[in-house]
Amino acid sequence: MHPPIEKLITKDAIHRSVYADPEIFDLEMERIFNKAWVYLGHSEEIREEGDYKTTYVGRHPIIVSRLADGSVTALINRCRHRGPIVCQHELGNSKYFRCPYHSWTYNNAGDLIGVPMPQGYGRSFDKSALGLAKVPRVAEYQGFIFGCMSEEGPPLKEYLGGITKFLDAYVATSPTGKIELFEGMQKCAYNGNWKYQLENGVDPYHVGSLHASAVTPEAMQIYRQGTGCVIAMDGHGVTDHTDWGPMPVDAGLSGGFNLVIFPNLVVLRSQIRTVRPIAVNRTEIYTNVVKLQNVPDEVNIRRMRDQEFQFGAAGTFFTDDIEIFERTQEGLQSGAVEWLVFSRGLDREVMKNGYMTGNMSDETQHRGMYQHWKRLMTAPLPMSTAAE
Amino acid sequence: MRVERPEIEDFLYREARLLDTRKFEEWFDLFTDDAIYWVPAGRDDIDPARHVSIIHDDKMAMATRIKRLRSGFAYAQDPQSRVHRLISNVELGATDNEKQTIEVTCMMLLIELARHRQTFHSARCEFTLEHSTGSWRVRRKKVNLLKNGEVLENTPYLI
Repeated sequence: MHPPIEKLITKDAIHRSVYADPEIFDLEMERIFNKAWVYLGHSEEIREEGDYKTTYVGRHPIIVSRLADGSVTALINRCRHRGPIVCQHELGNSKYFRCPYHSWTYNNAGDLIGVPMPQGYGRSFDKSALGLAKVPRVAEYQGFIFGCMSEEGPPLKEYLGGITKFLDAYVATSPTGKIELFEGMQKCAYNGNWKYQLENGVDPYHVGSLHASAVTPEAMQIYRQGTGCVIAMDGHGVTDHTDWGPMPVDAGLSGGFNLVIFPNLVVLRSQIRTVRPIAVNRTEIYTNVVKLQNVPDEVNIRRMRDQEFQFGAAGTFFTDDIEIFERTQEGLQSGAVEWLVFSRGLDREVMKNGYMTGNMSDETQHRGMYQHWKRLMTAPLPMSTAAE
Repeated sequence: MRVERPEIEDFLYREARLLDTRKFEEWFDLFTDDAIYWVPAGRDDIDPARHVSIIHDDKMAMATRIKRLRSGFAYAQDPQSRVHRLISNVELGATDNEKQTIEVTCMMLLIELARHRQTFHSARCEFTLEHSTGSWRVRRKKVNLLKNGEVLENTPYLI
């Protein structure tokens, strides 16, 4: 049994059950992934009419489609008849999704357009009420597409808050102001809680230690000097080497910034990482590699090769991150010690540009994310949590 | 150029054994200076200039990878993975007399033991081997993992 939710996060500590208790994980699926804006994918993945990608929002399998009018819709990938997913491909182009079980057929806007032998159903059978369920709200910022399973709550831009400025700066690294994606993804999994990835995505404190075997002496120097800052930004996390951008085009460790957009998006260097929680102790990470427009091919190829070398399943940085996530999950099985220490920088953080800001190695950004976690986890549930 | 299969098989077994026994420097020396060590992501037939790979190392990257594994700070390899590689279905492809190269394919079953877990990887491997310096060397090693489109567990060892 865990203590009451509101007691799990204090001003400088986090209770181990936040990472280790399956009941907390179930609540997170309800109260975070069914309520907050969740990253679905990038506009570039579904550029043309009829393009789709499949993804997940918490436990919901999702189809994200580009419709004829250019708009984007997100549908629950689940046949309204008996429940199989109707699309099993990662990416594709289709006007229709047909469940092969009994051939119920939907258009890519989700409308049920065909049912074999419909005369078998009575007069009350209403096809218009049996379309694929929709993610109630879908919105896009700088090409990043988000979905929200709740009708209620702030609009996307408000939810992103100050992070919008950093997303602006991120896409501005491309000379055209628009980013593209390389084909394919890096996909990794680990036996640990999803929030380790969120903490780790904005955690300069660990770089010189855990990544001692991978970090270059030049980058190590920068981390030691501690220039830059960490920011608790509207519930999201930022580590900023540049003092509010813009991020340099090469986006090496010596420059740029890392963004963790709660609850499932990490943007740093040339990567867009999507965090998929599977269970309290199981997480998948999908990484897209960003391509800049109007730069020499060598620049983009270099960015991709660096990304692969450092951050894939065989990456020189990422393998040690994954290792420590699994070790953490193992350590947190013990209830002999109940609390994790998140007090670093508490006495020296200051308000700057309207946001609590800490030194480069501080944990201000983590404290901000967990206060957001606590707000979401303890907020009264809205009337409608999902379209279903 | 006349090449007999046993000679190539011996070379592939040795390459696998050097990795299994963590003789990374000897393994590294099997590669030509312009070699590419490539593990595609997603599917086998991607264009690595347009599509992300799992590993796409030139020789300098391979050297850095090995240096890291030897650094004593590669925590994902503490303790070290124990790995067995089974090589089979060796087939010889086209030879190029001018360049002194031969294309070779084989199947690999890689079994890794780490953190009390056994992980299996099946792969179809492609090699371009070169004989220009009096012995066989690898110009290109491409490992087509059966699972290359799936999520992968931590893979901090050389494949």
